[in-house]
Amino acid sequence: MKQWIGLLARLITGGVWIVAGAIKLPDPTSSIRAVRAYELLPESTVEAVGYALPVVEVAIGVCLVLGLLTRPMGVLSALLFVAFIIGISSAWARGLSIDCGCFGGGGEIADATAKYPLEIARDVGLLLLSVWLVIWPQTRWSLDAVIFPPRAGEVSPPVGDREEWDVEAQQGR
Amino acid sequence: MSKRNKAADRAAERAERAARAAALKAEQERKEKRRRLLTFGGVAAVLLLIVGVAIFLQTRAGQLDEGAVVPAGSTKDFGMQVGDADAKHEVVIYEDFICPACKLFKDENDAALEAAVADGTARVEYRPLNFLRQYGDYSGRAANAFAVVLDAAGPDVALKFHDILFANQPPESGPLPDDAWLIEKAVEAGATEVEVSEGIKGMEFEAWVENAAKTATDDGVGATPTILVDGEAIEFDGLSEALE
Repeated sequence: MKQWIGLLARLITGGVWIVAGAIKLPDPTSSIRAVRAYELLPESTVEAVGYALPVVEVAIGVCLVLGLLTRPMGVLSALLFVAFIIGISSAWARGLSIDCGCFGGGGEIADATAKYPLEIARDVGLLLLSVWLVIWPQTRWSLDAVIFPPRAGEVSPPVGDREEWDVEAQQGR
Repeated sequence: MSKRNKAADRAAERAERAARAAALKAEQERKEKRRRLLTFGGVAAVLLLIVGVAIFLQTRAGQLDEGAVVPAGSTKDFGMQVGDADAKHEVVIYEDFICPACKLFKDENDAALEAAVADGTARVEYRPLNFLRQYGDYSGRAANAFAVVLDAAGPDVALKFHDILFANQPPESGPLPDDAWLIEKAVEAGATEVEVSEGIKGMEFEAWVENAAKTATDDGVGATPTILVDGEAIEFDGLSEALE
């Protein structure tokens, strides 16, 4: 069961990362403006982050969807969501009215305050899914299972899941 | 040999076998661990390489296109200047043809700006940008069309075209006007269809518009409208004060 939830967590988080990154890739200048709008990072790093972030997002997304290096990717994903939650909350607290730039766009906009709570809620949800993958990185249909096969004698998949698996196997699934 | 000795030998043999098996198992585990570590390192290295190359390509895409065609009559700062070159104040307006706040600023300040230009208080430079690409390609197409009209029909027609585009601004949610509409508005402003049609359809100054956005971003312009008076950014409703 945990492995199925893990698969779902991988697909949702990974899918969001891929979409969010892919939208930004064709327009790196806009990504730089989005980062700058938060007024959090020192100006010397804004450009580098603006260029790198969309690439990193897509990379994490693809790895999560494939189930490649699930645990490290889950850690990265969780860290980024924590950073975004801090960024949006801090923008909100400082009274900035900016487009979060989550899916392209960015910069100052009117009435952004109304959108902040939902954006934070979404990121918290995705953060939880990422943390799930850090705690239980073994998931169904993952590349990890192929390139890092469970060691002989190792209790893996966990006992509970194995029993479930056997029941399913008996049922011819 | 006594029975006891035989039993002891057997026990020793068993112990030795067990030790050998344990050593073999440990060795296998060690190898397996090493294999996993190498695989992990290899996958991570390949990923880092891909990400590194992609980031490098992104920074390349972010550089100015030196080969961009520049519209005649434009300033070196990707704008069009109106008014006396030695006017008292210099006003720079970064704007986007689909940005509602830009239209609002224009509606509220046009009369004052026109007067300031007429009496020599200010010269105004309009710098159209394609910042709002998340709402589709109109932002970029309109900025390109502005450059085409400026290039082909000169600043007076271009300014009129600029005003017509803002007066007929489409909502960000669409529907967005097409090229035929832009050409029609250019003709309405005083350009001939022949001189602007190809440039509008073919995005003649696309690279120039891109360079404008990159330069503005480098200069710290984060959103439209951004209004500078004598190089200083002013508040949305601070124009009249700044021009005093």
